[in-house]
Amino acid sequence: MRQIWLIARGVLLEAVRRKEIYAVVLLSLLLIGGIMTVNFFNLEGVSKFYRETALKIMSVATAITTVVLASRQLPREFSNRTIYPLLAKPISRWTFLVGKLLGVLLAAAFCLALFMLVFVGGSAYLGASVPWGLTLQFIYLQMIMMLILAGMSFWLSLLLNLDAAITIGVLFYATSAVITSATTFLYDLVSDFGRLCLLALTYILPQLTLFDLSAKTVHSEAWSPLPLTTMLQLTGYGLVYGILYASLSYISFRRRPL
Amino acid sequence: MPPGSIPVIEVQDLVVEYRNGRQTHRAVQGISFTVDPGECVGFIGANGAGKSTTMKTLMGFVFPASGTVRMFGEAAGSVESRRRLGYLPEVALYYPFMKARELLELYGGLQGLTRADLKQRIPSLLEEVGLGGKGNQLLKNFSKGMQQRLGIAQAIIAKPEALIFDELSSGLDPLGRHDLRQVLLRLKSEGTTIFFSSHELSEVESLCDRVIMINEGVIVARAAVADLMEPLNVFEVGFTASGELPAEIAALGPKQGNAGWTLESSGQAQYADAVAKLARNGCSILSTESKRRSLEDYFIDLVRNSAGTRQ
Repeated sequence: MRQIWLIARGVLLEAVRRKEIYAVVLLSLLLIGGIMTVNFFNLEGVSKFYRETALKIMSVATAITTVVLASRQLPREFSNRTIYPLLAKPISRWTFLVGKLLGVLLAAAFCLALFMLVFVGGSAYLGASVPWGLTLQFIYLQMIMMLILAGMSFWLSLLLNLDAAITIGVLFYATSAVITSATTFLYDLVSDFGRLCLLALTYILPQLTLFDLSAKTVHSEAWSPLPLTTMLQLTGYGLVYGILYASLSYISFRRRPL
Repeated sequence: MPPGSIPVIEVQDLVVEYRNGRQTHRAVQGISFTVDPGECVGFIGANGAGKSTTMKTLMGFVFPASGTVRMFGEAAGSVESRRRLGYLPEVALYYPFMKARELLELYGGLQGLTRADLKQRIPSLLEEVGLGGKGNQLLKNFSKGMQQRLGIAQAIIAKPEALIFDELSSGLDPLGRHDLRQVLLRLKSEGTTIFFSSHELSEVESLCDRVIMINEGVIVARAAVADLMEPLNVFEVGFTASGELPAEIAALGPKQGNAGWTLESSGQAQYADAVAKLARNGCSILSTESKRRSLEDYFIDLVRNSAGTRQ
């Protein structure tokens, strides 16, 4: 367990010291700050518009940060040859991968925490209340989504190269909602074979939209926090994909010559 | 090696191949050797000879196409064998966003050192490799030589039983090489097994008990340094003979010069024998010159000869 933490700490240090996260947060802050000056809504309208935009930015920026950070972990270790002294220590390749994955998730959590500060600060400035129940569920499910994205990015970076892994990871995140709605729309229109294909697609690709509670958080007056059973089901669903991608990464990495 | 003790390194008929598309390159072609506990063995070869590949196989970074590699009797690359090893890669950068102290905490921690151990060990270790007072500097500000010193520190942080150093003094200035030699001499005197490759053959001469020479994936020589160096001590004796050269001396193959004859002998024993024969045959010795050939000369001859043989 200590070995996993030591590897994860290295990734977290990289994320915290490289300052890229701060740049993303700063840019988002400027954007959110601009939104707060909009004066053609009433107070409720402004706070909803602010909440919607802030949560969307939070989600997109964290996802991109996660995909980039996860995709570059292994290729950078190979190209800078930092992997040699590391794997010369008594650590298994599985422990190494899990440590890296945990580190990326901690970095994502750090990123989300910074955005939460901005979000809560902005809400206080606008005098709008924060729906804590839904907001915390939103953050938790975002973290589950980051687990899937990080696992997938690790696997892609081992199969392809760094650039391709980042491109596919970001594209998948950006188009996930479109794929889900297109699949749902097409399901009733296609043949039996087509339905089988769409069904397979639904199970092969994780449905990231399931983890997006932003709409419910924005319209919190109409939605209660999700029941515990639903949260557990979503956690289980996310863990299945997270573990699947981590295992695929391990299979690709296990006997890879360095 | 004491009876019953297990070799630290045991390589048997090792073949390593690299695939590039449909082409296969055989980097190591069936080599066998062992390194016993407490030995210091130099692994010498030109660039591309197969040194780094062999060392990577010992660490489990590269997998043999055939043959066996065992470390401390365990499969090479096993967690158990790596627990007892320190390794310095040929070229490695260290995380530029980390401080030297943090990097050593990472590597030492992975090797099982406790926080208390690390707190005690890191300052003295940094001092020993010439990085005293640099523990809180970010590695992005470290020169290549400083990174190499740090690499040595990470390799020895857990006081391993054996060290594998790929290109020992790469990137080090003469002072750095001197410091490193002191560290290795200390470790050697404490019984640490050392297996290293280096292009600095003077370093190999001064540190090693034994050398293994590899060329194009094949071991071309292996010997104790003392045995290897003895014939490299060449003595040139200038002498004159009154009248015709005695048959016993002529059989030694002297060369005639302007002021008399010169005779070359390799090694102390051959030299003593030649001098005795000259005296016995009434020759007058005019001069004696010691021309010591280096391990480097020997290595260059060996590589050229093996290339010539293949042609």
